[in-house]
Amino acid sequence: MEIYLSNEFAREGPLLLAEARAKGRYRTAQRVFESLKPEQVVDEVKNAGLRGRGGAWFPTGIKWSFMPKELKGPSYLVVNADEGEPGTFKDRRIMEKDPHLLLEGILISCFAIRAETAFLYIRGEYRTAHDVLADAIAELEAAGLLGGDLFGTNRRVNVVLHRGAGAYICGEETALLNSLEGRRGEPRPKPPFPAVWGAFGRPTSVNNVETLANVPAILERGSVWYKAMGTPLAPGNLLFGVSGAVERPGCYELPLGTTARELIDKHAGGVRGGGRMRAFVPGGASTGFLPPDKIDVPMDPESLKKAGTMLGTGGIVVIPEEVSIVDAERIFSRFFRHETCGQCSPCREGAAWSDQIVARFQRGEGRREDLALLEEIMRGSKGMTICVFPDAFAGPLATALTQFRGEFERRMAPAAPAATSEPTTHA
Amino acid sequence: MPELTIDGRKVDVPAGTNVIEAARKLSIDVPYYCYHPALTPVGSCRMCQVEIHDPGRPLRVTIACRTEATQGLNVSTTGKECVAARAATLEFLLANHPLDCPICDKAGECDLQDFSYRHGSGVGRFEEPKRQLVKHELIGDHILLDQERCILCTRCVRFMGEYAKSPSLVVAGRGDRNVIATFPGEPIHSNYEGNLADVCPVGALTLKEFRFKSRVWDLDVEESICTGCDRNCSILLETKRNKLLRVRPRMNLKVNGHFMCDVGRFGLLDHCNPVHREELGWVKGARRSAAETADLLAAALVAEKGRWLVLLSARLTTEELLVARDVLAPLAREVTFVPAAAEGGDDLLFTGRRAANQKALELLGFASCREEDVANLVADPAIAGVLCFDAPLARRLSARKPLRRLALVDLFRRGAGEPDGGAPDQELAASPLGAEFFLPGTLFSEKEGSYVNLDGVLQRAARAQRAPAGTVPELQFLRAVAARAGLLLPDLFSKPDLTWAALEALGHPGRTLRQIPDDGLELGAPVAAVTRTA
Repeated sequence: MEIYLSNEFAREGPLLLAEARAKGRYRTAQRVFESLKPEQVVDEVKNAGLRGRGGAWFPTGIKWSFMPKELKGPSYLVVNADEGEPGTFKDRRIMEKDPHLLLEGILISCFAIRAETAFLYIRGEYRTAHDVLADAIAELEAAGLLGGDLFGTNRRVNVVLHRGAGAYICGEETALLNSLEGRRGEPRPKPPFPAVWGAFGRPTSVNNVETLANVPAILERGSVWYKAMGTPLAPGNLLFGVSGAVERPGCYELPLGTTARELIDKHAGGVRGGGRMRAFVPGGASTGFLPPDKIDVPMDPESLKKAGTMLGTGGIVVIPEEVSIVDAERIFSRFFRHETCGQCSPCREGAAWSDQIVARFQRGEGRREDLALLEEIMRGSKGMTICVFPDAFAGPLATALTQFRGEFERRMAPAAPAATSEPTTHA
Repeated sequence: MPELTIDGRKVDVPAGTNVIEAARKLSIDVPYYCYHPALTPVGSCRMCQVEIHDPGRPLRVTIACRTEATQGLNVSTTGKECVAARAATLEFLLANHPLDCPICDKAGECDLQDFSYRHGSGVGRFEEPKRQLVKHELIGDHILLDQERCILCTRCVRFMGEYAKSPSLVVAGRGDRNVIATFPGEPIHSNYEGNLADVCPVGALTLKEFRFKSRVWDLDVEESICTGCDRNCSILLETKRNKLLRVRPRMNLKVNGHFMCDVGRFGLLDHCNPVHREELGWVKGARRSAAETADLLAAALVAEKGRWLVLLSARLTTEELLVARDVLAPLAREVTFVPAAAEGGDDLLFTGRRAANQKALELLGFASCREEDVANLVADPAIAGVLCFDAPLARRLSARKPLRRLALVDLFRRGAGEPDGGAPDQELAASPLGAEFFLPGTLFSEKEGSYVNLDGVLQRAARAQRAPAGTVPELQFLRAVAARAGLLLPDLFSKPDLTWAALEALGHPGRTLRQIPDDGLELGAPVAAVTRTA
């Protein structure tokens, strides 16, 4: 098993440019700039089958191929480093430990989509990662590896670091673009898609940090090498996060298709204190809860889809037996209520309303009709909004209701009285 | 022109039209909140859901406001899935709505209310505590914000930014803490603020001036135009018991689009509700009834034929101006008008020229005269007196140099902050402005007629208020003069109506006032040469 993303994760502090170059970094970028055409890079990434690691798993090469070949003005690369999905911390590790892995990926990707500027939108809370990247960018500029005339060609690439201000929704690519432009971080209606109307109204490709970190290896060792890892439809390694009630929470680089059991039991050391698991979240909050009997599911997009959920970001959260799913779901419902941007009525109201109902179950005041009502709130909001946020809050809620319904039934009010509502009299 | 099918009926629309507007062409109402024809569609309220049936593709429920009407598109507005989606959206919108319709000014013309009846459920299942937010806060000079009633469609935010060019409203907060707000310490300051109450589909933004004044269904509504400047925005005058309570813009793409300015909207509320109005006439220092005054003034004009200087006013209707031309021109030394200068206009609707029908004065061929030159005209010893139809002008002229003999025909407000206006609640001791003849005039809202705006669009204005009993309207006065002078004027009075005569005088085919389209008649630039019939 080969490792190409997390080689530097064990070190103290980040890998600096001098050492990175001694290890051969930026040689691939140099070769790309000197001897390849942008289409060749796109084709190689397409052939490798690289898919977006931000959670949507859209083929990266295809996304790039939507970018204009004939430029009538600037095109942009936007790096989505607004890693906010609960249970996810892979991009942070790359940026904190190996900034040049990402930056080399950015150079090659800019070359591929004919962009001269990359906006790196980083989650506001990622202070350390931001500072590391700022230093790494300064190193590159000093070494002539950013700016104009890269590698003796007439191409130029600049990287602009931009910190977010703490909104989960800004990880949605068009909300990110609005935020980057100084507008409210609200997703844009699509079409137009970013490849047509992106940052500042220019053609833009928005790619996740880990996705771009895969690019140097693909260009260095070729798509054939890359496709040998992972599954046929989702090749390559993934930085799996394992957190929650495990012995060794952390970030583990393994081929896509590795089972959740191997990740939890072998790499993360099993459930904390030798206890039992009540459920696990396969890939970040929005992917919902899976019961322990699904632990042998291979962690790849297709297998998890078959299991009724999604791979998402690959951030596994293990929920121990002593925690009720109602309480776990309340954490998520409160999170999603807090983080919906609120522009679309069904999402704004649906996220809040469902959280209020789950909160009642948490207090032991649920009603039988609430279970159907929660289903209807999800039905009325999923697919009915500008972005897929309702699917995100419905993920944990739906799986909690279907797989762990008994836990909700046990939190119902004994006499099931009508919920009290405050009188709505106003002056 | 793409042709599409909506609810089984075919319609063709210009390329780029959205499905809401295409449906409107078929008189099919697609409900919406955040969409507004004059603003960028954001597609966030999710009310305008329709079904798209593409052959060979699964049924798609999507929003009509951002779906372009393309060739062959097959839309259903009544399918089960989109009906359910709309009902779900309404239930979400009503979840935290206070349902205080009984005390809400918007009730009766509220889209949330109307769509709930048409597309919603009679039962609400939301039983959690409702959000409690700001109930009434003055966020500008006229607009009250009720955050609880707000459904966050953001029309107001976009209106202020995109149309009024004064981005003073924002969405603050996130998710269900979203509220419409101004920037701290920066209230709305715009000449277009009043439109917010019309743009708001619910009762979240209401007019201070209309607050608790009337249920909207008790209002008498007449179509008129705003006389605040020579834009002549199409408006609705809404009265109750003869009092003008609200002025709203009426959509007219030829003139004002969807909106109107605050100078007009709130100016008319003052203008058309004169509190201390001089209702009787004055003749040579004595009070007379309006009818007697009209008669005596007519007699004086005829007796001193050829010796009066007539100053017309752009406040008069085109019909009145036409009659004035044909009646007064043969009697007067000169008939002229003082054109209004533009003061404080903006580049949206308000021109700053407070002269509603100035264009008609020009088109009817009246010679204009600068205000400072009137004194020279009056200095001519051949001039016996000045007949002026414009009280503010008469006031300004008197201030320059007292007029020897003034005959004033206009509405006069006591008080009104002018030194010679007397005390508001006391009878005048002398005639207004010392006029030898004072004939109380009427408001534009007290008579019907037409006005021509700066671009040459002739619109009709209906009568929305009754003048006080005994008032002699200007037209009646002019006819009294004609009778005194023995003028028959068949060119005017043998036509179906005076509007017909006026249009013919302007070189256009005749039409009666009733035949003027709702959005007016474009007279266009090249009209036939105006010939004076006098």
